[in-house]
This record gives sequence, structure tokens and C-alpha cells, in this order.
Amino acid sequence: MTGARLRIFLPPIALLGVLLLLPAFGIQPNAVRLLFVTFVWMTASIAWNLLGGFAGQVSFGFAVFYGVGAYAAAILIDGGRLNPYLALVAAGMTAAIASVLIGLPTFRLRGPYFAIATIGVSETVRVVATNLEFTGGASGYRITEPRPFNQAEHYYTALIVAALAFAVSLFISRHKFGLGLIAINQDEDAAADTGVNPFVYKLKAHAVAAFLTGVAGGVFARYAAFIHPNGVFGFPISVQILLMPVIGGLGTVWGPVIGGVVIGVIEEEIVAYFPQVHLLIYGLLLIVIVLFEPGGILGAIRRLQRWVRRIRDRQAGKRTADARSKKPDEVLWGAGSGPGR
Amino acid sequence: MLEVRNLTKFFGGLAAVRDVSFEVRRGQIFGFIGPNGAGKTTLFNMIAGTYKPTSGQVLSCGRNITGYPSFRLVHEGIARTHQVVRPFRAMTVLDNVRVGAHFGRQGGDHKSAADRAMDALREVGLHHLTDSSAHVLSVGNQKKLEVARALATDPELLLCDEICGGLTRAETDAMLDLLRQIRDRGTTIMYVEHDVRAITAVCDRILVLNYGKKLSEGTPNEIQLDPAVIEAYLGAAPKGWNGKEVSEGTPEKVQNDPADIETYPGASAPRAKTGTDDE
Repeated sequence: MTGARLRIFLPPIALLGVLLLLPAFGIQPNAVRLLFVTFVWMTASIAWNLLGGFAGQVSFGFAVFYGVGAYAAAILIDGGRLNPYLALVAAGMTAAIASVLIGLPTFRLRGPYFAIATIGVSETVRVVATNLEFTGGASGYRITEPRPFNQAEHYYTALIVAALAFAVSLFISRHKFGLGLIAINQDEDAAADTGVNPFVYKLKAHAVAAFLTGVAGGVFARYAAFIHPNGVFGFPISVQILLMPVIGGLGTVWGPVIGGVVIGVIEEEIVAYFPQVHLLIYGLLLIVIVLFEPGGILGAIRRLQRWVRRIRDRQAGKRTADARSKKPDEVLWGAGSGPGR
Repeated sequence: MLEVRNLTKFFGGLAAVRDVSFEVRRGQIFGFIGPNGAGKTTLFNMIAGTYKPTSGQVLSCGRNITGYPSFRLVHEGIARTHQVVRPFRAMTVLDNVRVGAHFGRQGGDHKSAADRAMDALREVGLHHLTDSSAHVLSVGNQKKLEVARALATDPELLLCDEICGGLTRAETDAMLDLLRQIRDRGTTIMYVEHDVRAITAVCDRILVLNYGKKLSEGTPNEIQLDPAVIEAYLGAAPKGWNGKEVSEGTPEKVQNDPADIETYPGASAPRAKTGTDDE
């Protein structure tokens, strides 16, 4: 029991420890920036996966929460002179409230209809934000903080936010809430017949995801110090947030983390040398994943593990293979039921 | 414990169920039968929360639960199984049942819910398959999984929709034994089935529907001897059949398309298709 727990909790804690210590070894500002951006994307990726991966509700509208979070944080820090960390929490809350307002009508739709509705909502919000006074309109919004810029502070903020998102995701996956979401993903009506209230559960997952995405937006806005509606509310943001869990492994805890790293690296490194080429890479990755490995990178790793195990079994001799060959039958047909079914 | 009062459902101009009333008493297995299109499934779905009735009431222990969505019914102690099995395919057998245990009437934390899920699996005899994926189970075991998942919600009333459909004779008998066992430990069961043999074997009381109306209600023996039921299933009986005089003339029929109404062999008749006089 403790061994299983260790396997679940040790890797993320170890990884967090390494990342916390990393700046102390004096890494380059460019690398810090790369990691910062990766953490921000990772947070949004983990958040999207709660709704899209666990509950199976594919939303193309997460730019709304990213943008709302970014603007809420920007306005509260710059205009409101609020403590930046309080402002980040407030940014998350604002995004969560927005998610409920969006979810109430859109969760009455299912599957592709829900996905299309989120595109509509997202574009509407972008257009409205572009034409509002207090967002600075199309010319954007500049954030000035009284304190001097400190890259390490931003690094740690983003790291902690990403770690919190991971913890939330891990917690949900291991508890009743996650079980309900996966049940909705598998069969919404059967879930309702088993006592899950799908509407409320989807709203809750949406709100948690929006909160985390909003905080990520706020963290980014603070770092960038300048945001504009076509950037943070743009459709590419929605697509990118959605792509990360799909690339990494939909509906898993580690998948969106891996996807976040991939997109973060592509975004920061490859774009620098080959502008626009990242869109091509995203498209290719998506095609390859949809065609060959719907489980994403994580799915591919698991497949590789199975291969290795099978080859090792074969080398170990036929006896093990024979001893195991009965088990799949038992799993397939059940020991109790007779033949001919 | 369950009372249905004047339940009616219209689909457009067609009355699928019209003015049906009955009462299910605690500890019974209560069955619905009727030819295809008789309204069994519509009636079932209205009680199970899938359809909202056009008029009429459903009362559970005196509480009006008409039109409750299915998850609220589960919390009221009414759970259902599906005619076509609907397991959570990618989950393990245990996780399927855990959903019921976590979100059922008792709800609760991880450990006790997992225990209740195991109890339900043991009851239906799937405890040796807890870790296999739900979708690799045989149909018979998936049907058992449906029952286990519903039982894990801790229902007072279990609604079974054609739970023996697609099962072999032996599996059907095992399933009927399971239903009796569930009844005997105190859960009331409402049961819809095509298979007249199965339903007369297990039910304490049976409601017969025809053309959306209540045709007859009684114990299996009573309804098997009811001339109106025999006529609905086999067509008008010849004179002297069953030792009773039955008039030849067809009684007034609702204007439904006769082609929609498949016919069924009588309760004790061999399982061969029998034509009705209408066709």
C-alpha cells in the first residue's frame, strides 16, 4: 500500500524539489524564461484536462478564462494597486465566475454542440474585450508594478501555481469527484442513473479548470507586463491549451504535464528560430496522435513498455507466456460463464 | 411503496401510455408485460425519470417524485438497470460499481464506498473480476454488472429493464435467482420483460399492458387465466378454449397500426411465433 503511494507521490515531489532548487545553481535567464512559460502552459493544460480529459467535455473556449484572468490581474495590480498574489487569486475567482455564466447555458448541449458553442462564446468575448474602454481596447493594457522586476519571483510563482494545479488534478483523479467526472465522460446518462448529477459536476469541473486557467493568465500578464485582447483572448490560445493534454495523454494526470513541456519548448525554442513553423508542428503532431496513438505521448510510452515486456517474456522462455495465456481468457469471458458466449 | 396514479404519456398525438394506475408493495417483484408497443418501456422510463409524464403522478412512500431526474431518484432510493447494458467501458468492474456506491443514497468517503462496492459485486457473483475492464465482460456478466452498480447505490426499489434479454436459458435462471435473492433481503423490484416465462416465474404480481392501457393485474396465475390477456397475446381464442366461452367479435381497438404490434406466444406455450387473427 505504502509502496503504491510512494510510486504516486514521490516523482512529483522529487521533480518539484529539483525545480525549486534549480535557480540556486544559477541557470541562464533564457532557460528560466523557458521554464516559466512552460509552467504557465502546463497549468492551463492541467486545468483543461480536468474538464476535457476527465469529464470529456471538449471546450474550445479556454482563452476566455486565460484572458479574463490576465485582465483581472492586470487591472487589479496596475489600477487597483492590489498585492499581486491576492490579485492572482482574484483573477482565478473572476475566471471561475465567468465559467459558471458560460457553463449554465452551454452545458445543456452535448458533445460537438458544446464544443461549437464554446467557440462562439470565446470569439464573442474577444470581440467585446477589443471594444471595451477599460481593457485598453485593441491597443492593449500595460501593467506597471511598484517593485522592480525579479525573474526568480516570477519563476517561483509559476512553478507553485503549476504544482498546485498538478496537486488538484492528482487529488481529483483519486477521489469521488474524479470518479464522477470519468463516469460522465464514459456515459452521461448511465452516470445520472447511478446518482451523478452531470450538470452540476460539469459546472464544478469547469469552475475549477477556469480558476486555474485564470491564475495562469494572471501569472503570464504580470510577467509580460503588457497584454492585449487579440493575444490573451485569441482563438490560438484556446487551441494551444486544448492541444497540450491531447499531445501528452488525454484524461491522465501526467499527460497534460508532458504536453505542457512539449508545447512550452516548441513555443519558446523553435519559434525563435523558425517563426510560424510551430503551427505546422502542432498540426503534424495532432494528425499523428489522432491517427496512431490516441493516448498521446503517455499512451505511446505505455505501448513501448508492453512491447519491451513481451519481448522480455519471449526471451525468458515459453513457460511464462503459457502460464499467462489463460488469464486474458478469464478476463475476457469471466470464469463463471460458459463457452459459446 | 411505489404508487402510480393515472400516468399518461403522449408522443405527439399518440398516447403511448394512457391513464395507468397501480401500486407496488414493499418486498414484491412487480412485473410489466405486454406485446410490443404496449407502452411497457414508456411506463418504465417515466418511473425511472427518463421521460416526463404528460399527466399523472408517481409517488414513492407517499412522496411525489413525478418527473424527478434519474440522479435524484437514486438519492430517493430508486435505481435502475438498462435494457442494453451501459457499463462505464474504460473503467474496471470495481470502479463501475464504486460510482454507484459513491453517488448513491449513502454516498460517502473512499474506503466505505469501496467496501460497499465489493459487497454488491459479491452479491451478484462478479467479485473475482474486479480488476478487469468492464467492456471485456461477457453479456451475462455485463448484465450482472448493471445489477451490481444499481445495488451499490443502496436502493429500496430496483427497476430492471429486460434484464434477461439476450441471455441463455441457464443465465436467465441464474439472473432470476439473483432477483429473488435481492427481493428476499428486502429490496423491492419492478421488472419489465418480454420473456413471459421469465416474468411469470419470478414475479409476485404482474401488470399487463396493451395499447398503452392497463389490461389486467394480478398474480402470475391470475393473469395467465385472464381471457383478455390471452386474447391480447394470441388473438381471440376459439370457442370453448380454456373451458370458457369467449365471444368472437374483437373488442374496440385503439387506432394503432397493427403492423407495429408483434405477437407473443402465451405464457405456457412453446416459444414459437404465433400469428394473430388481426393479421
